[in-house]
Amino acid sequence: MEDRPPQEAELLARAKRGEVDAYEEIVRIHQTIAFRTAWVITRSEADAEEAAQDAFLKAHAALDRFREGAPFRPWLLAIVANEARNRLRSAGRRTGLALRVAEERRPVDAVPSPEAALLDSERRERLLAAIERLPGPARQAIACRYLLDLSEEETAAALHCPRGTVKSRLSRALDSLRLELGEEVQA
Amino acid sequence: MSELESRLTQLGRDLDWPVTPDLTHAVRERLNPPVRARRRPIVFRRSLVIALAALLLLAGGVFAAIPSVRDSVLDFFGLQGATVERRQELPPAPPPSPLELGRQTTLAEARDSLRFEPLVPEAAGPPDRVYVANGVPGGLLSLAYRPRAGLQEAKSTGLGLLVSEFRGDLAPEYAGKIAGQATKIERLTVDGHRAIWLEGAPHFFFYRPPNEPFREERLRIAQNVLLLEDGRLLVRLEGAFDRERAVELARSLR
Repeated sequence: MEDRPPQEAELLARAKRGEVDAYEEIVRIHQTIAFRTAWVITRSEADAEEAAQDAFLKAHAALDRFREGAPFRPWLLAIVANEARNRLRSAGRRTGLALRVAEERRPVDAVPSPEAALLDSERRERLLAAIERLPGPARQAIACRYLLDLSEEETAAALHCPRGTVKSRLSRALDSLRLELGEEVQA
Repeated sequence: MSELESRLTQLGRDLDWPVTPDLTHAVRERLNPPVRARRRPIVFRRSLVIALAALLLLAGGVFAAIPSVRDSVLDFFGLQGATVERRQELPPAPPPSPLELGRQTTLAEARDSLRFEPLVPEAAGPPDRVYVANGVPGGLLSLAYRPRAGLQEAKSTGLGLLVSEFRGDLAPEYAGKIAGQATKIERLTVDGHRAIWLEGAPHFFFYRPPNEPFREERLRIAQNVLLLEDGRLLVRLEGAFDRERAVELARSLR
């Protein structure tokens, strides 16, 4: 996931003044999280690309309404998620969550983090399969909050619901996962 | 954060996410379209059209191939992926040629080879034949429907309905139309999508593969046509139907 550089406010101010270069930089910074968020909702690469692209254009058109000093990413992700939901009309040709655990990316001699050490490939696949079996809203909440590492505020914006709803959905989803995974994890 | 939450966060980092496409170029293009990739329907004054035609001539564009009509463009309409020119005179009618739609395939296979999700007009049911061609970035999909009740045979294609789809954002001028003064050209909005309807009097249709000069032999006579801009897609519906039927078909695209 990309870091937000400190000059984002300045880029936004320049983009508001009509500088396309500045907005292009904003797109570059946020395109991965925008595309992945759209993908979590649409589960179609083509629709996610289209939703993210259209969302960036709509956000640009609405920049005048964006409150200066407010965090940009939740605002953008709300637009992205809305565009993504609009493309769900072609339900039935969606793939499943269809994410796979990537091949080991860490260098052989790197020291894995304590979490990484726990996550052997088989357990990760099992966890992914358990997420897959969650109902849609719970799955999206887990995907946004943890897999995409969005904040609660960003998750709420993406799922178009209050933060309290995000909290309760996450709580229920985590309980379901714990039940499903049995003794593998501790509460 | 509980152990499970930590595991989920780590899982997100280890996942093989779909590769993020570079959106910067497409967004920039759509924010600031180049002169030839118009995003909005434009009706030029005649003097401007002649100036534009002269510019394109200098650039070795399409007009160079049809010198007899190079300065007689009356109107110019554009969508992302398609241009329509109304001219005082039309080029000579090309001899009839078989439709070149690419290789026959299935919708399922087409989805794998195209860089977009195919749309099918539900009002017409599943297509009788599906074709994919690769001459345009992102691929070109053609859905062919045999004539049937509600879809009379079009002389231009021998089909009841021909639907073509491609990424207009990747090929902003791929589909071209040249119409004479007797052809009705109308701009529409179909469920919020910009569209152009062409009806009556034969007009010409051609594809202009990127980086290839215009070739007159690619021209073919077309029947009534609805051009529709659906997000990044340009969808083209051709048949002997009227505007209402074309709009009904377009609205049912799923």
